[in-house]
Amino acid sequence: MALLELNGIKKIYGNVRALWDVSISVGQGEWIAIMGPSGSGKTTLMNIIGCMDKPSEGSVILDGVNISKESARNLTALRRDKIGLIFQQFHLINYLTALENVMVAQYYHSLPDEAEALQALGRVGLQERARHLPSQLSGGEQQRVCIARALINYPMLILADEPTGNLDEANEKIVLSILRNLHAEGSTIIVVTHDPEVAEEAQRTIVLEHGRIAAVTENKREKAE
Amino acid sequence: MIISSLARRRSRMFVALLAVAIGATVLSGLVTIYYDIPRQMGQEFRSYGANLILMPAGDEQTLTREKTETVRAIFPAESVTGMAPYRYQAAKINEQPFMAAGTDWAEARAASPYWYVTGDWPLGAGETLIGQEVADTIRLLPGSVFTLTGTGEGGEIFSRDFTVTGVVQTGGTEEAFIFMSLADFTALMGEGQFDVVECSIRASETELAAWAAEIESTVPGVTPRLVRQVTQSEDAVLGKLQALVYLVTSVVLLLTMICVATTMMAVVTERRREIGLKKALGASNREVVNEFLGEGVLLGALGGLLGVALGFFFAQAVSMNVFNRPITFQPLLAPGTLIISMLITGLACLPPVKSAADVDPAIVLRGE
Repeated sequence: MALLELNGIKKIYGNVRALWDVSISVGQGEWIAIMGPSGSGKTTLMNIIGCMDKPSEGSVILDGVNISKESARNLTALRRDKIGLIFQQFHLINYLTALENVMVAQYYHSLPDEAEALQALGRVGLQERARHLPSQLSGGEQQRVCIARALINYPMLILADEPTGNLDEANEKIVLSILRNLHAEGSTIIVVTHDPEVAEEAQRTIVLEHGRIAAVTENKREKAE
Repeated sequence: MIISSLARRRSRMFVALLAVAIGATVLSGLVTIYYDIPRQMGQEFRSYGANLILMPAGDEQTLTREKTETVRAIFPAESVTGMAPYRYQAAKINEQPFMAAGTDWAEARAASPYWYVTGDWPLGAGETLIGQEVADTIRLLPGSVFTLTGTGEGGEIFSRDFTVTGVVQTGGTEEAFIFMSLADFTALMGEGQFDVVECSIRASETELAAWAAEIESTVPGVTPRLVRQVTQSEDAVLGKLQALVYLVTSVVLLLTMICVATTMMAVVTERRREIGLKKALGASNREVVNEFLGEGVLLGALGGLLGVALGFFFAQAVSMNVFNRPITFQPLLAPGTLIISMLITGLACLPPVKSAADVDPAIVLRGE
């Protein structure tokens, strides 16, 4: 059974068709890339998959739950329990240390556990920088804290919005390597990106244009071991 | 984590805390003054002289010392500013008729602090204070000696020299009197009781009226008479002053609320992206609301605590400058100010907290 199933979803804002008849199936442990020009509906799709919005029509089944019919409160709970979010702009809370930023996600999920948060930072190679504020970290380090935060509650689905969009080449490689490792460990990943190199890391690339699926390509790269 | 995060946002928190603390200080200070006004102004009003006169009742011609002491016992000791007894008898200087009055200098001075004396108050035997009218009529000055003649209450004729130590101006009938000590008066006129006792009591009109009724019913032969002009104007001025302070306090409360609401609104606007992120991470609306309300109420508590301490010093400074007397600390005001500060910040936080709950978590994906 697919972890995520989008069936003929449409999203309409007034007269604007942000998404039109989009159907995607994502299996457990798959790595999907979503590409497309600005205004193609990538962000709308991310919002829907991330339980932050509901489609105007169609169904979205996440781990057997039809999220298009759930209340806002249930969507919050689904997002908290099943999804890990990675943002292009990192979105770290600037007055909290790297460790505390990770613990925030634990706080809203269950209970903050410093040892576990330190372990998550260790997975992204930042245990030594745990007590630093975001302003004391480089862009790449901030993105790695963001990844540690996304992982801390063991989500079923990692949703990454342009995870390397604000990084230099060296940091892009580090972040991609972390994503590869996560995928190798069995994580399901959906990445929205403009970067073909990032998209190539995925098993499948879905290209959106004007709110519709314009192309789906299976990538040749084998799943990283 | 929460405390260290608050500490790291200390500049913003300090601004918000300052807003609450200033409001709480002014509130606590004004309420302290509000409650202390009757006591402070009561003392001020006592400088306008007697507000209760004791007179003989019915067939009685005089007031005995015993009755005067019985009446004194009815008033709380701390409320009695002065109870000046007077005996009156006609006398002459150079064949010109005047009214001689015997009194207790200390009590008269306490009960009538508004008397303006040119020269000194008498201290020893044979010393007098004369009214301005007497001084003008027979051209006497402080230091002048005059001979007082007349007939005592027993019919014996007297003639005695007195030294003027001071000339008194009151703007009233006292300016036509020659004042001397009760001892000198008794020596000239013979033993006798008081004609009238002028009392200056710190109390509201209602309290005075109640004590007057008690005197009338429990001390026979004594008629207490309220000096309505004084007691009524005291009550009217006190009422107006308290209403003014009440009004100012209400305005300050309103301004504090606006100030706190504005500050919290700025905090929410500033942290909109953070709220969106927290909601994206799975924070429920209730958790966001509790977080901001908790922060607001904590600010209210801290500001309230500061306000209690600073408010007392503020009230003390006002009291020392305006009344020249220290203020009394009102113990109930501390928890009161604390609770009101927490309530006000809580209330002021409601609109910004509502707008925090309305933040769309999707803003973090839109990069806003």
